[in-house]
Amino acid sequence: MLIEQCAYSNRWRRVSPAAKGLFSACGIVAAFLASTPRTTIILAGMMTVITVLGAGVPLRRYLKVALPELLFLVVALATLAVSVGWNGHLQCRLAGRAELHHVALVCGRSLGSIATLLFFCLSTPMTDIISLLRSLRFPEVLLDIMTLGYRTVFVFQEVIHDTTTAQTARLGYATPRLAMRSLGILAANMTMQVWQRSTDLHQAALARNNDGPLKFLEGEFCHPVRSLCAAAIGGCMLIVLALVRI
Amino acid sequence: MTTQTDTPILELQEVSFRYPDGSVGLDSCSLSLDQGSRSAVLGANGAGKTTLFLHLNGILRPQSGTVRYCGGGLDYGRCGLHGLRSRIGLVFQNPDSQLFSASVREDVSFGPLNLGLKNNAVQERVHEALQSVGLLDHADKPVHNLSFGQKKRVCIAGVLAMRPEVLILDEPMAGLDVAMQAELDGILDKLHGEGMTIIIATHDIDFAYRWADSVTIMTKGQCAATWETQRIAESLVEFASYGLGIPRTAELHNCLVEAKLLSRGKSLPRSHCELLREIAAVK
Repeated sequence: MLIEQCAYSNRWRRVSPAAKGLFSACGIVAAFLASTPRTTIILAGMMTVITVLGAGVPLRRYLKVALPELLFLVVALATLAVSVGWNGHLQCRLAGRAELHHVALVCGRSLGSIATLLFFCLSTPMTDIISLLRSLRFPEVLLDIMTLGYRTVFVFQEVIHDTTTAQTARLGYATPRLAMRSLGILAANMTMQVWQRSTDLHQAALARNNDGPLKFLEGEFCHPVRSLCAAAIGGCMLIVLALVRI
Repeated sequence: MTTQTDTPILELQEVSFRYPDGSVGLDSCSLSLDQGSRSAVLGANGAGKTTLFLHLNGILRPQSGTVRYCGGGLDYGRCGLHGLRSRIGLVFQNPDSQLFSASVREDVSFGPLNLGLKNNAVQERVHEALQSVGLLDHADKPVHNLSFGQKKRVCIAGVLAMRPEVLILDEPMAGLDVAMQAELDGILDKLHGEGMTIIIATHDIDFAYRWADSVTIMTKGQCAATWETQRIAESLVEFASYGLGIPRTAELHNCLVEAKLLSRGKSLPRSHCELLREIAAVK
């Protein structure tokens, strides 16, 4: 929900998703082209600043969203930098200087990519991303699954909330044994709901004359050409920065 | 909108339908709906109201009997159904079962795009439909952030954007608070004023009595009785025998007439407010 809130309330909500997508693609390319860890860190920092100051995503929310990814990155960094073995007794070995440089570069690139993806998903609602993929001629069946999947996430979230509240009100989670039983009932109930809702959605689609892929009107955005040009220039600058050895 | 004719716009003749599990959906159900009319369908849960509506939109096909649109039997071929569903709009009871996209504007555009309209025409229709349900300011909001009543209005806008001749609403007032009901009431009056034929399934007898031109009662898959609303007050005992209650305005008006406090005029009060005005006029 945090990502949702940011995506719908940020300053660049009405900027063309194509422009934001292009800029993000350039950001990821730049992160992979960067040849020193320092460059990747600078790129990640720049993307964070653009997201927080440019798109106006509150820093606290940004950090909350970024925290799980950063934790994964720290774990990955530790496993790359430290080797653990067993030779009669536990052995730990820190990677050598050259290896550490490589580890730092890999982690820096990951960090840059994470910051870029966070910029894209925190500034662009999912419906705009699907619309962008549609205009890029992605397979329609995948887009239909994405559209329905995204919509039903919220429907089922509500159903799960209502069901667990009703179960809790009748002491459904009072003991571990009852909790297991309630969870089982919830899963069974959800299975039936999924089946019922899919029938309902099919009927609703038929009622509105649908007999093929789901079609929706594409959103309108402010100055799409100007935004695209600005994104292309900004993206090129990121790539140039990545190629410069700092 | 088509011009007013004597031929019913929709007609069911002895229609029967059973679901695969053997439960009865419709049982020799006959019903006739006039063009430009406002009809209410009353019935207990499971009486067959939703099944009836699914037949009117061509989603379900009768196992026996005939459904007619403007005098002609329904064509269940691809083109026939396309034409039928572009003229008969169906709004489902649960908005979450009808809304596909997470964006209000996108969802409303779904029907018009299925009609094969160009983007400009679709944009115009989406704008018009959202305006008519008072949700233009919410066009770019995500559906999951709307209230239940607002979701219902998005559903209605999604059907209105197809500019149907007939609007079918399955329990539109269910789950709405008083203010939202009043808003929806206003929207329905406006649409009827524009010449649209409207059919509503409801449990609210007072609303049906106030709003509809005719009231049909369904029991066990059958259209058991149909009254012109003006005639209901004369047959309250029979109406009550279906166990759905009786319109309180009609009941109170009858009592006041019997007590000789009011006279039975040509036009009977259909709502609480109209009855109060009549009482005030006597004072």
